[in-house]
Amino acid sequence: MDRTTLLVTLACVLFSAGLVGVVVRRNALVMLMCLELMLNGVVLALVTFARDSGSQAGAVLVFLIFVVAACEIALAIPIVLLLARAKRTLDVAAYADLKG
Amino acid sequence: MDILTLIVLLPLAGFVVNGLGGTALGRQRIGPSAVSVIGCGLPIASFLLAIGAIVDLERSGQALVDVAYTWTTVGTTAFEVAFRLDRLSAVMLLVVTGVGSLIHVYSTGYMKDDPGYARFFAYLNLFLFFMLLLVLGKSLLVVFVGWEGVGLASYLLIGFWFDDPAKAAAGSKAFITNRIGDAGFLVGMFLLQQGIGTLDIETINAAFANGAPPGLSATLVALALFVGATGKSAQIPLHVWLPDAMAGPTPVSALIHAATMVTAGVYMTARMSPIYLASLDASQIVAWTGLATAFFAATVAVTQYDIKKVLAYSTISQLGLMFVAIGVGAYGVAVFHVVTHAFFKACLFLGAGSVIHALGGEQDVRRMGGLARRIPVTFATFAIATAAIAGIPPLAGFFSKDEILWFALASGHGGSVALFALATLTALLTAFYMFRLLWLTFFGASRLSPQASHHVHESPVSMTGVLTVLAVLSAVGGFLAVPHYLEPTLPLPDVRAGTEALHVVVVALSVAVAFAGLAAAAWCFGNLARADALRNRFVSLHRVLSAKYYVDEAYDALLGRPLAWISDRVFLRLGDRVLLDGSLNGLAALARRGALVLGRVQAGPLQLYALFAVAGLILSLAWMLRHG
Amino acid sequence: MIDSLLLLAFALAALGGAVAMLLARHPMRVALALVLTMLSLAGVYAMLGMHAVAVFQVLIYVGAVMVFMVYVIMLLDPADRSLRERFSAWLLPGAAALVLLIAAFAYGVQRGGPFAVGESVAGFGVKPFSIAFLADYWVHFELVSVLLVAVAVAAVAVVGAGRRSRG
Repeated sequence: MDRTTLLVTLACVLFSAGLVGVVVRRNALVMLMCLELMLNGVVLALVTFARDSGSQAGAVLVFLIFVVAACEIALAIPIVLLLARAKRTLDVAAYADLKG
Repeated sequence: MDILTLIVLLPLAGFVVNGLGGTALGRQRIGPSAVSVIGCGLPIASFLLAIGAIVDLERSGQALVDVAYTWTTVGTTAFEVAFRLDRLSAVMLLVVTGVGSLIHVYSTGYMKDDPGYARFFAYLNLFLFFMLLLVLGKSLLVVFVGWEGVGLASYLLIGFWFDDPAKAAAGSKAFITNRIGDAGFLVGMFLLQQGIGTLDIETINAAFANGAPPGLSATLVALALFVGATGKSAQIPLHVWLPDAMAGPTPVSALIHAATMVTAGVYMTARMSPIYLASLDASQIVAWTGLATAFFAATVAVTQYDIKKVLAYSTISQLGLMFVAIGVGAYGVAVFHVVTHAFFKACLFLGAGSVIHALGGEQDVRRMGGLARRIPVTFATFAIATAAIAGIPPLAGFFSKDEILWFALASGHGGSVALFALATLTALLTAFYMFRLLWLTFFGASRLSPQASHHVHESPVSMTGVLTVLAVLSAVGGFLAVPHYLEPTLPLPDVRAGTEALHVVVVALSVAVAFAGLAAAAWCFGNLARADALRNRFVSLHRVLSAKYYVDEAYDALLGRPLAWISDRVFLRLGDRVLLDGSLNGLAALARRGALVLGRVQAGPLQLYALFAVAGLILSLAWMLRHG
Repeated sequence: MIDSLLLLAFALAALGGAVAMLLARHPMRVALALVLTMLSLAGVYAMLGMHAVAVFQVLIYVGAVMVFMVYVIMLLDPADRSLRERFSAWLLPGAAALVLLIAAFAYGVQRGGPFAVGESVAGFGVKPFSIAFLADYWVHFELVSVLLVAVAVAAVAVVGAGRRSRG
């Protein structure tokens, strides 16, 4: 297996693990961290292909993604904390008000 | 513009002017006079123009044709509005415009104090317009427009005093019964258009000259057209509207339901005579239907107490006799009877109107009597017309009725002894009930109510003048040799072998029957105690006859109520509410319930939604990779 | 040779961290596993020759994001139910989905065929990166700075909303 295939496969596995982690874990903060894992998987794929195509734009894009990820977490955590305080628990099963 | 189109359009102009401007005119001082001048003047102008047109016709020896305009062209067939004047339509034209004008003049006196005066004349002119379309139409399409139009005018005029629901209902009954007949007429027209490819009357008649054209059944067409005639001319089973139509003002009864509209059926079948000549079966059905109608109507007329109802049943009966003549192929004779009937029946109706006017609205003969000396002109004209309809020579009715009886016996196109016997019996009954009416109304002791008795006065000249003219026509009209005049267009049928000698017998018999009826009526009703005793002897028969054989009740039970039931149960409750509303509401309910069910997918837990997203991702990946 | 082995080692470390994230009970352990994954990925980037990206990964992701996460985890209530039970009610469907998802991706990657590998470019270092960033992509740079301002404002607003809801 060559390097690119390995890294792309790893990226897919990290992404899948993060996605399923959102589904199976009960703690809200753990769910957030699984989201970060998903994002990392995607960035890995991006870096691999950027490296292989020799494009500087790829690196710039990766940097911008990092910035956005930081912004995202800066907002997500306060929101989750507010929610946890309102429901008095970090158990995601308690956040079941969005019903049809 | 050609003279025929002008004749047709003048009454229409009268309708428009009086109809639109009548109320405004009425408010002026000259108002009613202006309405009368326009309303009567235009029909009189049409009459004079008609005379001129007929002079042209006789001089040129050829039928006058006037194409007004092309209505539409469908494929290669052009439907035109065209008029044709030949001898047959000339006769009808004179009757329609002549008697029509007289009745218009009569109405100026009769309807003088009615608030709807202008509307009345507008409707009368409208009727005249449509009737002229019917009479002069060159193709069946124009005739049909006129046919429907006179039905409309009849509805408007019968229900003229529409504030009374009963009168308005009578108008509706007339219109609806007519429409049922018109369905038959339409079927006939469809068959003709499909079989021959045109609705032009001359072309159709030429196609039937030697029997039916291939692929078309003369019997079927003849019967379909006859159904239409049944509706319009009040034959069994569509006769029920005519007695109810007496709810309209008396001039209307005279014009429409005696002289012109009801004879449209006779005119139409005479026009299409080659079709009836080509089918002996249909002609026999026509003859026997006419005879049955004539006989039954005459029996009912014997028991009626409303002066106008007696005349209504008399009209039905006389129309039946006309159809007997049509059925045996004596078309010219039928038209002759149309002419004489127009004279004496219009005179009778207008005379009845004069009596009603004199008594201030009374129509029941049980409350009349002894009027002969108090309203002499009305009495004299009524008596002459009664004698005419009874068939007393040498008045008009004698000649036309005699011809009908003769051909009922002797015609080679279906004449028979049975036909003749029943027709003669009907003639006897006719004389009987008409003289009964005369005796009960004008002779004997006065049975008037005190108010009516004070009120009695002779009618104004506008009414009595017309009565006089019509009485004179009833007296001498028989000498117009109409069948002979129409011989080129409507040949008389061949006489059956061995019957030529019986002509004298027939004449003698018809005269005897007329006088027998007179004598019987004088004997029964000269002394009212005798009349009552006679009635008590035949109580149940009397009851059936005066209830007109319960035909209306039968129609209501057999047709009216089942239709209403179907309308309510099947169409309203089942069709509209359950099926249509139900399906629409059902669809809405389905959507709502479906939404409720599908909504349960969004159960609440966030991770369930995330799981759905994962599942969706897997499926789309799989699909993409399979079809990539 | 060494490069390949190092790359493989870093890759395996990242994978191990991911697995540990899914399985660990306490959120602090989960956070540390994620840090391990991120550092391994930084190593991978370095092995690929993209040093600038590797450094930013460590600085921003590990240094800012994960530190923030760790602080928040320290605020946890130890009696919370999610600390007793790791997994939600959808463990089995989730596990099945994981297997299917990886299978789908693997099939896709395998079908994607041999990937084209371009020659190694000298410049993924900081200097060429900065030149490219500030010369060619300065608009994006400005936009991102606007985004950061917006996030700062939003964070203050959220905190203020929380303060108001608590009275």
